[in-house]
Amino acid sequence: MTVPAVNETELVTRAQSGDRNAFSELVRIHAQGVMNVIYRMCGDARIAEDAAQETFIQAWLHLSSYRPQTSLRSWLYRIAVNAATDMLRRERRILPNALEDLQLHDPQPGPEALFLQEERTALVKKAILSLPEASRVVLVLREYEGMSYHEIAEALDIPVGTVMSRLNYARKSLKDKLEQKLFAQVEAGHV
Amino acid sequence: MSKHVTEWLNAYLDGELKSSQLQQVEAHLVECQVCREEVESLARLSSLLQEVPAPEFISPERFAAQVNLRLPHRPISIPKSRFVEAGWWMIPVGLLAAWIFISTSFLVSDILSVANNLGLLAGAADWLAFDAANQSYWSATLGQIGVLSGNSLDWAASAEALTRTSLPQITLQVSIALLYLSWMAVWWTRRRRQEHGQLLEG
Repeated sequence: MTVPAVNETELVTRAQSGDRNAFSELVRIHAQGVMNVIYRMCGDARIAEDAAQETFIQAWLHLSSYRPQTSLRSWLYRIAVNAATDMLRRERRILPNALEDLQLHDPQPGPEALFLQEERTALVKKAILSLPEASRVVLVLREYEGMSYHEIAEALDIPVGTVMSRLNYARKSLKDKLEQKLFAQVEAGHV
Repeated sequence: MSKHVTEWLNAYLDGELKSSQLQQVEAHLVECQVCREEVESLARLSSLLQEVPAPEFISPERFAAQVNLRLPHRPISIPKSRFVEAGWWMIPVGLLAAWIFISTSFLVSDILSVANNLGLLAGAADWLAFDAANQSYWSATLGQIGVLSGNSLDWAASAEALTRTSLPQITLQVSIALLYLSWMAVWWTRRRRQEHGQLLEG
């Protein structure tokens, strides 16, 4: 959802002055994006909603440090990534390192294509979660939030060159992990 | 065949290449099947990633209401007045002015002393001559603690001059330098905090 820049600037200014209604409007606008980013980072919807709430609470407390030179979305996503990291550590989630714990099973009786589709998305999801955090966040912001390299660099406070190298690594790593399991299935005509 | 452009293919697929790089990559792709297959492979991967759906989260309105209930009372940040902000920036300016004033004062004092000793001022600046009693204070102290002996009087005279003229100047300048460095440290810390907030902890 594109927010008129002037409108958002006005909301931020009012929120910085303590206007809770203005801040609630900003929350409403960016809630979905923040929850999506955190969900893609950690793979758990409950954690995503909790961490998203924590994100906006931190944003409220530190709103005076926000400068309009950077986009509010980038600023919020930086807080969200940190909140996701903290939540994962607190929850002591063990993210999968290998994909062997999820195999593509033999087709069960029933809608075969649907079953394989679900298996495939689960495999892809686990592959994303198995990436190193630094590469995973860049991949998520690019693939699922459609952010440009410059916006990602701004959000994560890293050079654009680092964004490119981490994205290259993430995609190569995913291809290497998924190619045999999924692309072979495609060639065999199972999907 | 020209060198492969695999390192640029991700940026090419994401539409992030500048025009000159874009032309270079497109020209290469016309000739290189390996790189074309790599682009197709990356495009397939991107499609595959998009197949992973996001769950149904609660509505943004309900989420915003939940957040609003949890918002703590935040001290309203009173914008710093321009006067206070200007005052902050006057500190280094003031320190610099103080340093210039002190350096100039001592320089002028030294010049007048030399000129007076050479008789160029016809006694007009006799007030620059130090009281004889004060002159011997340091020498007397050194004599009492048994430091002076024989030719040490010359050393005592030099020490006297150093203590009376150079030492205060050095002390003042070092103090100003320390104050300036302290201001710089505070400014740098404030700037870092503003840039990153306190959001990047842990």
